[in-house]
Amino acid sequence: MLRLVYLYRNLTRNPLRTLLTCAAVALPITIFVLSMAVVDGINRFLDNASRQLRLAITQKSSIVNPLPEGHRAKIQSLDPSRSRLVSVCGMRWIGGKIERDPRPLSTVAADHDTFLTTFPDYKLTAEQIEAWRRDKQALITGSATAGQFGWKVGDRVVIRPSVPPYTPMEFHIVFVAEDASDPMTNWCRRDYVEEELKKAGYLEGMVSFFFVKCASQADLEHFRVAIDELFARTPDETKTQDEKAFMSEFVKQQFNLPQNLTILAIVTVFVAIMAATNTMSMNFRDRLNEIATLKSLGFRSGFVFSLIQSESMLLCLLGGMIGAAVPYIAFMHTPLRNFTLPVIQYLEIQPVVCLHAVLIAACIGILAAVWPAYQGVRMHVVSALRNLE
Amino acid sequence: MSLPLVYNWRNLFVRKLSTGLTFTVVAVVVFVLSVLLSFAAGMRASLASSGSPYNVVVLKPGATSESTSIILPEEASRATQAPGIARDESGQLIISQELSVQTSIPRRGPEGVMANVAVRGVDPVAFRVHDNVRLIAGVEFNPGLYEVIVGKAAAERYENLQLGGEVTIGRLSNRPCRVVGIFEAGGSALESEIWAPRTVIIDSYGRHFTSSIIVRLADASTAQKTIDYINGPAVNLEAKREVDYYEDLSSKTTEIVILTTILIGIMGVGAIFAVANTMYAAVDGRRREIAMLRTIGFSRRAIMAAFVLESLLICTTACLLGLAGSIAYGELIATRQDVLSDATWTVLAYELRVTPVTFFAALIVSILVGVAGAIAPAVRAARIPVIEALRKA
Repeated sequence: MLRLVYLYRNLTRNPLRTLLTCAAVALPITIFVLSMAVVDGINRFLDNASRQLRLAITQKSSIVNPLPEGHRAKIQSLDPSRSRLVSVCGMRWIGGKIERDPRPLSTVAADHDTFLTTFPDYKLTAEQIEAWRRDKQALITGSATAGQFGWKVGDRVVIRPSVPPYTPMEFHIVFVAEDASDPMTNWCRRDYVEEELKKAGYLEGMVSFFFVKCASQADLEHFRVAIDELFARTPDETKTQDEKAFMSEFVKQQFNLPQNLTILAIVTVFVAIMAATNTMSMNFRDRLNEIATLKSLGFRSGFVFSLIQSESMLLCLLGGMIGAAVPYIAFMHTPLRNFTLPVIQYLEIQPVVCLHAVLIAACIGILAAVWPAYQGVRMHVVSALRNLE
Repeated sequence: MSLPLVYNWRNLFVRKLSTGLTFTVVAVVVFVLSVLLSFAAGMRASLASSGSPYNVVVLKPGATSESTSIILPEEASRATQAPGIARDESGQLIISQELSVQTSIPRRGPEGVMANVAVRGVDPVAFRVHDNVRLIAGVEFNPGLYEVIVGKAAAERYENLQLGGEVTIGRLSNRPCRVVGIFEAGGSALESEIWAPRTVIIDSYGRHFTSSIIVRLADASTAQKTIDYINGPAVNLEAKREVDYYEDLSSKTTEIVILTTILIGIMGVGAIFAVANTMYAAVDGRRREIAMLRTIGFSRRAIMAAFVLESLLICTTACLLGLAGSIAYGELIATRQDVLSDATWTVLAYELRVTPVTFFAALIVSILVGVAGAIAPAVRAARIPVIEALRKA
């Protein structure tokens, strides 16, 4: 108890310095939380992708080159019983924008009959499934997109695709995926897009990629090789990857965010350590005589060590908690939630990231006080008292 | 009268640890600022130098870039009737129909991550339109053969694109194209591309249409007339000045600059606190000294100036170190970067560039941090009650 009072008094003795140090720790921690939230978001997305037992099939030379839709039947023929190869869904990326809004959309047209079996992570009610089956203009959207544009089930939206047919197309929202791993993508029906393509006189029957749902990990490994072999030495060779590998290729090409943001986070933590070390060594210097007195009164070196350490840790913990709480509240509970970021577009801060940040702040506190505390332990009482002014 | 500079300089070394730590904090902030801005500057430079005022890019209305645009042959022939198009010596219109596709090529280096490299199918007229394209090694491709030429940036960055290398394009997996030439294009985005004969691309990708049409103007000042004609009902395509087209593509760099500003704002405030902390310590440790200086006649203003100057000394030298660090980083570690554009779906290779703007931004940030951090401690120093401080001696 005495110790706590002593700590508290020490911290409030120079409130300005305490405040400055808190802020100097809190701000880097804020950056740490934000950048790790992005990395964490990407990792959760990729982890979910790897759990889905899905294969992504693209044209061998480039993802942008389309494949003929007939590949679907050929892939399905690898397992007519459907016990190992659950379903195959062809997709065509149409991107798109809504009129008079520069924000780009990520819209993908999918085979409507197999979309729901290939992506069972989209949990539609029986009624919604019925709407998706019945209405050619049905659109499934992610919670983030719905939030940004203020869409809700039953709305009619007009999207102008960035690829053929380029003409505005009307969609009816049948489902907003609240907890989808990809909260940005809109899914529409490919037959509707094909129809529009036909009307405008463009080449039909091409898909950007196929997704294949497998029954087990062993099947996934098997078909990853088997599908590519099926199309080897044909004009439309394929490249089959599991969903995680497919997605991480995209992520890596966009500034390699996970790696670069981690570096940034480390740099900012380093800055925080510097700032905290600075304060602690100044605190220590100010109180040389006090510590000497403590020691001469009979307090052990261990006590002095833990005193300096706990003061530093308390200070940094406080800074860390503020630094973690501010972005958490700002991005999860204010209109900032609808703020779009380049590349990832959507920021979700998990409490666990904040927890990490606070733990790291505590570590910063410990590290920052190592040198001053060590000096306190080593201090020669007699010579320190002699230097007293 | 002001205090001699040497006094400030020597003072910095009294508190080596504290000064050193603050110095490092400012240097790191400047380093991060400079690296991020030079990323943006590098990307912007390579896109900005890509457009020629004499060129107009024609795309399908609604398409965001050349790679998502499809222009059918009849639409292309309508565009040739636009006014103001330049003609060559034999009277032929200088119009380049180009086909933009992509191919996946691994990056050079141990990891070998695949990159989506742009492939442009062109006719010989393309060299008239893109007049900044110059071969620096090898020869031009032969329109009938499976030969390609490669941009300088792409050749440096991706596997097998050196002179004599072989690259698979589209469905020609059993007939690779040979790299016969390397070209440069004034540091522009074209240097990240592979150029192949248009006939080869039509064949290997099965695309019987054009992605974009680049129109060469006889006179740059009549561009608007040509654009209006093409945008109008007679052609019904979307024309843009080439300069504007690349400007739009570089909008992403604006996002980087905004993000950098926010980030540096946060880090800068943190640095100000670190500086303030150090300077307060410097002031408190020198109360008697300051009182003495006041007694022998130095004004309050001189004392204040001395502390601000001291903090500026720390911050500007740290700034120089941070800048030097970022230049070294650009030269040694991150020599060539590339990014997948979400508009074109192709990679753009670029170099980090520390531009004068970056330099001044870094300097301004460090001066701001130095001054803002020193003001309050300096005021405290100026207000030290002389007699009381001296009495404690």
